[in-house]
Amino acid sequence: MSATPVAPPLQRIATAREQGLVGCECCGLVSQLQQPMARRLPRCPRCAYVLHPRKPQSLQRTAAYLLAAVVFYVPANVLPVMATVSFLGTDEHTILGGIHELWLSGSWELAVIVFIASIAVPILKIAALALLSYTAHRQSLWRQRDRAGLYRLIETVGHWSMLDVFVVVILVGMVRFGSFASVAPEAGLLAFGAVVIATMLASASFDPRLTWPDSVRNG
Amino acid sequence: MDVATRRWIRRLDWTARLRASKAAVTTYPDLVVCEECDAVHTRRELQTGEVARCIRCGSKMGVGHVIAFDGQLALALGALIVFIIGNVSPIVTLDLRGLRSTATLHEAIRSTWDAGEHLVAVLAGATTFAFPLTVIVLRLWVLLPLAWGRRAKVLIPAMRALRWVTRWSMVEVFMLGTLIAIVRSAGLASVILGAGIFSFAALTILLAAVQASGLHDLWHRASELPQ
Repeated sequence: MSATPVAPPLQRIATAREQGLVGCECCGLVSQLQQPMARRLPRCPRCAYVLHPRKPQSLQRTAAYLLAAVVFYVPANVLPVMATVSFLGTDEHTILGGIHELWLSGSWELAVIVFIASIAVPILKIAALALLSYTAHRQSLWRQRDRAGLYRLIETVGHWSMLDVFVVVILVGMVRFGSFASVAPEAGLLAFGAVVIATMLASASFDPRLTWPDSVRNG
Repeated sequence: MDVATRRWIRRLDWTARLRASKAAVTTYPDLVVCEECDAVHTRRELQTGEVARCIRCGSKMGVGHVIAFDGQLALALGALIVFIIGNVSPIVTLDLRGLRSTATLHEAIRSTWDAGEHLVAVLAGATTFAFPLTVIVLRLWVLLPLAWGRRAKVLIPAMRALRWVTRWSMVEVFMLGTLIAIVRSAGLASVILGAGIFSFAALTILLAAVQASGLHDLWHRASELPQ
């Protein structure tokens, strides 16, 4: 005998939109869903934020930011992010090179952290948002709860990718011994920052409510 | 005035927008809608430390008062103090056989600017200095009047700005970045930790504590009060 679920099937839970309600994305107040009048968008009575049952053009905007992130991802990893200057000459370092140095210097724990934050998280974020957008676009019912968890995960870890930008900025401010030793930022750093910002904007544009399409209840 | 200018002024007029929407709309303060899957729940007071999760998608919908509003006010004041200390004191000093080089946050950002990476400098300055400062100031702006049972002036713009800057403030990431930078330069020179790094560590913890309960409770409480 298979176990019977105690809770009602997840798809049968009523959504606010079906009941003619809308929860404010900014302050959380629940109010009646209003029809947008000419030139006046419905606003939350508490915080005046525009009320929409789903974020407008969510998937299009997410896709656009993702595309930008992919484009910036190439120079971010190919170009050097910083250069160390000393009387011996100038050395240029890429993101991966920096991780390699950390590894060689014996701090493998930090090398793993930087690898996860700088290489793994941006790729996983782009892949995860692409998956979420695609399944949301298909109105898929595939593993909805896991997809909701995946979205929460990328929202939580998203800004940690900025780690390497701060490492370089602090190194630039810290190592200032003129011609003996100094550190300069390089063009790859800007591309890397752009990847992080683009992925953060992409996950902010994605509306997680699209993971739970309404029509299922009637089916 | 031309049409475009007038439209801009209307956009900036918060009270008019609010009055217009208040007149027409019914609100349901006893309901809570899951932000992540739109499922409707009824509101219930939560016990201290209790976490409410959405029955459908499992997202965190609310936390029972971890830290009360006066506690949050104290933490925000503490955050302001360590923020100031962290910004005026050296984060770390490098000693290369007698040659010393001291880094503060501002010098690091200025050096990045001077090296020609202006956008990176602006990005770092915004996420580690301007936004965290705005987070602290806006929290105090809203919480201080609340302690006297009052509603803060310009509450709505302040709270909406707070929501935005909280997302883009990255003190904790900066903190870890500094530690990694220290490890990477340890082979080059000897490292002397400054007061700045401890202040930023404290700031990370204080900001996390202030922000633990989210903004919805604050909206709920602050907008009920008289001006």
